[in-house]
Amino acid sequence: MNTNTQISAADREAVTAAEVTTIIGLEVHVQLQTKSKLFCGCSTLFGQEPNTQTCPVCTGMPGSLPVLNKQALKLSIKTGLALNCEIAKHTKWDRKNYFYPDLPKGYQISQLDQPICGVGYLDISDSDGAFEPKRVEIERAHLEEDAGKSSHDESGRGGKSKIDLNRTGTPLLEIVTRPDMRSAAEAKAFLQSLKMILTYIEVSDCNMQEGSLRCDGNINLHINVGGQKIATPIVEIKNMNSFRAAERALDYEVKRQLAEWKETGGTIEGAPKRTFGWDDQAEVTIAQREKEEAADYRYFPDPDLIAVVTTDEQIDAIREEIGTLPSRLRNDLVREHQLSEYDANVLVNQGRGVVDYFLSVAKTCDNSKLAINWVNQEVLRHLNETNSAIDQYPIGSDGMGDLLKRITDGDLDQTRGKDVLSAMMEDSIDAAAAIEKLGIRQVDSSELDSLCQQLLDANPKVVAQVQEGKVKALGALVGQARKINPNVNPGTLQANLRKMLGVDG
Amino acid sequence: MSNAIDRKTALHVGKLARLELTDAQADASAKHLASILSYVDQLAEVEVPEDIEPFFGATESVNAVRDDEVRPSMDRETILRNAPDSDGEFYRVPPVFG
Amino acid sequence: MASSIECLLSLVNQNKMEISKLSASQIVSHIAAGELTATDCTQHFLNEIERKDPTLNSYLHVAKESAIETAQQIDARRSAGESLGALAGLPVAVKDGICTKGIRTTAASKMLENFVPPFDATIVQKLTDADAIVIGKTNLDEFAMGSSTENSAFGATKNPWNTDCVPGGSSGGSAACVGADLAPVSIGSDTGGSIRQPAAFCGVTGLKPTYGRVSRFGLIAFASSLDQIGPFTRTAQDAALTMNVIGGHCERDSTSAREDLPDFSSKLDQSLSGVRIGICKEHFESGLPDDIRKSMDESISVLKSLGATTVEISLPHSKYGIAAYYVIASSEASGNLARYDGVRYTMRFEADNLNKMYGLTRTEGFGDEVRRRIMLGTYALSSGYYDAYYVKASKVRRLIKNDYTKAFESCDVILGPTAPSTAFKFGEHTTDPLTMYLADIFTVTANLAGLPGISIPCGFSDGMPIGLQLQGKSFDEATLLQIAHQFQQQTDWHSRRPQA
Ligand SMILES: [Zn+2]
Repeated sequence: MNTNTQISAADREAVTAAEVTTIIGLEVHVQLQTKSKLFCGCSTLFGQEPNTQTCPVCTGMPGSLPVLNKQALKLSIKTGLALNCEIAKHTKWDRKNYFYPDLPKGYQISQLDQPICGVGYLDISDSDGAFEPKRVEIERAHLEEDAGKSSHDESGRGGKSKIDLNRTGTPLLEIVTRPDMRSAAEAKAFLQSLKMILTYIEVSDCNMQEGSLRCDGNINLHINVGGQKIATPIVEIKNMNSFRAAERALDYEVKRQLAEWKETGGTIEGAPKRTFGWDDQAEVTIAQREKEEAADYRYFPDPDLIAVVTTDEQIDAIREEIGTLPSRLRNDLVREHQLSEYDANVLVNQGRGVVDYFLSVAKTCDNSKLAINWVNQEVLRHLNETNSAIDQYPIGSDGMGDLLKRITDGDLDQTRGKDVLSAMMEDSIDAAAAIEKLGIRQVDSSELDSLCQQLLDANPKVVAQVQEGKVKALGALVGQARKINPNVNPGTLQANLRKMLGVDG
Repeated sequence: MSNAIDRKTALHVGKLARLELTDAQADASAKHLASILSYVDQLAEVEVPEDIEPFFGATESVNAVRDDEVRPSMDRETILRNAPDSDGEFYRVPPVFG
Repeated sequence: MASSIECLLSLVNQNKMEISKLSASQIVSHIAAGELTATDCTQHFLNEIERKDPTLNSYLHVAKESAIETAQQIDARRSAGESLGALAGLPVAVKDGICTKGIRTTAASKMLENFVPPFDATIVQKLTDADAIVIGKTNLDEFAMGSSTENSAFGATKNPWNTDCVPGGSSGGSAACVGADLAPVSIGSDTGGSIRQPAAFCGVTGLKPTYGRVSRFGLIAFASSLDQIGPFTRTAQDAALTMNVIGGHCERDSTSAREDLPDFSSKLDQSLSGVRIGICKEHFESGLPDDIRKSMDESISVLKSLGATTVEISLPHSKYGIAAYYVIASSEASGNLARYDGVRYTMRFEADNLNKMYGLTRTEGFGDEVRRRIMLGTYALSSGYYDAYYVKASKVRRLIKNDYTKAFESCDVILGPTAPSTAFKFGEHTTDPLTMYLADIFTVTANLAGLPGISIPCGFSDGMPIGLQLQGKSFDEATLLQIAHQFQQQTDWHSRRPQA
């Protein structure tokens, strides 16, 4: 009757991983960074007291009507452009009807057949080579309103559920990929890459803890058994609340589906899509309770809203605002700032704020190499240690640029520079004040001459080596010199020593 | 179109609409649905030229939008006042699976 | 002493008598001139309500205290020389499907029996900004679904001309209260004829403006793409006065039109010479009662005598209007009424699990007709039927709209009867809902096309008023009001009053 009856349990058991292809598509819900909700003026701030950010519109009160927030539309278009999507010139709103207590109107305003963003793509790769670079196609991205939050009584005593509608009406962009990913690692890379783009173009903070980025995955297996292609039933996995969780959930599901197929031989034919949830503690996917009725959302155009028409000029203006995307930025940093691939990657992965910081510092000190070393080491170390963001870093890019300019100009060496940086951070002062405080000053030529003489007198062996042609031996004197006078610049010192020894050039 | 409106159909539609119908109500509902649908089925006889797009809203103007500005929300007490059950902070509803 | 009291009483009585005869425009100008106080005027209507409404049940709520308080404030402000709004001191009754801040708003449903909106509908705001006085909330068919107010959860309203008859619906309370002089002006809403048909049944003037002309914010939605708010008045002139206040763009309603609001009063006195009146042949086909047909012919003669010309037009798809209307209106309603789920602002039927609570609340909270329409709408939108019903109906809707566009190439307005009968008896159409639906046959097409329509009294049949409907071009309410006003200058049908 169907294919699975022809494949014996023994044949199924004999299937190896090499004959299994994993098929993954993702649905990512992204909360857009607007100040107010999608259809009313309530704030979208996270973490406020329950039901304090609601109004007649977002609680669906009788008589209330929605009015579209144009910024949400703009951020959607911006995202679409960054994901190489076609942007709809004409888009409309549809009602998705279902009952749930955190959905006040009994329907969600969404977009069915005219999503704001059409087909696009995102290229992904893995620096460790876990998979070949590939293109994941975006099927669509549509704008919709978020639901509220229900908290259920977990005691098992059937207590009442509590409903908070603060989140209700927050703008969500649902990004749907084609089933182009072939492993959990690819799915994770897609999510990471997507998050980086979204934060770069400032459409979302993508804070997964706060639910600003939520991800569901559709997954099944294509199995090759003696030339026959079998597909396992599609499972939707919900509740993947971190990239790590997504990767582990999908990995787990691959194994589970294979085991299930080996046991039952069940295939996609006639099998409805099932929903599983990821249990992060138990590290398993768990089948969710099936609904009595198959979902019938009875979509129809929302008669309370009218269509939105976007012009080429408006789209171009939004494109202008996007700026350079991460992949392009990496290339630019390598080409124009002579950064290594590695450095460029580290920098870009930190987000636009850090890149902008670097670019500003590099410009002020006119020394990309020095700037990248200091940003990737000093600055990032501090951010990691304090778990803070670049805008919280105590030294602004001007101050850092100023400090590094002094190093570039030879007024400071890097070691003293680090002392200066510490002082700047400790006392919230600028480089000049820190230099002053540390008593760093230029060593004048007579002072330098006498210091050099003192060194030469005390180190006849070194003098002899130099005279034999081993000029490098002078390096040994730098440490001694700094003990005597910490302000002395190693470069200047060595030059002066060479001059006095007549080995100039 | 409307050939098979029976109790089962009525119960299914009732479920979608969250109307809890007794069998008697479902039968009455099926009868009414069948009657109105047999009237409405005259729509099938209307020949619609290919270039006719459905007219979904009574206005075809476009682009009613607002700026992204936060307006004060309503205070919680006012919002919750009309609720049949709340604890002063949350709306309360019976459990999904009771 | 005694005689002076008698004299005073007779003055008061005389005053009362006069107020009943005054049009809204006259009340406003008398109050502005200091010849009548807002308080006396309001008290007069409150007394009339107390006297007559126990029989009629046109009001679900009378805002006695707040109305008098507002009237006193207006009088005080007038005495202090402050400038007052365009409707200063005018009592206005508002359909109870329209939200009034702090005043219970039920949509005549058990479901909303205790709902007190924390906000005013835009039109209520506009009325109070113009210093009108909200005197009460009027009865309707539950959620505006019906043509007789028999579907009100709080008892039907009776027709002031014959209490055995329905006042029409769904805005039956608004029509009856103006018809019985219990308010000089009332506000209703019209989804398929819910202003025009009860206006015809109660012998008053009722205007359904162009879709988008009046903000729907605060109107409890029945069918969002069809609903439109409008006034009931004694005269077209009063309708113009009211429209000047309630019309205009509203930023809280995305479907609100951005067209400039004209002065609806400015065109009233213009001659009808050159005005082309379309006579829709489909309106006069078989089944129209002779009395109504005769009234139409007489009305046409009156308008011709005023300089108008007539031309026969056709709306070939109008016969599908009711079918398209019931699919579209019920579909939208099934979504609009999903919010009544026992969670946020409705009655709740307690149960031990969520779905049971939903099911019982909605079955107990909604009346029969509302449930019927939710069932129809849910079915029409459900998987496998959407294209055959909702999409097909919306295409027919386009054809109906196109019919109008074509008709208006040869005429300025379309004239015909408002309803296929005069007010019918209670219970006459309750056993077969479909026959009730057909009461809207001449009115639904304007809603489907989004066009304005007005009903004015034009005769009587067996003591019951007959309504004349004029339908106009998009945003051309001014011409409807002009023709209606000119007609009312020549006839006195609108001045006739039922026996008290
Ligand atoms: Zn809100």
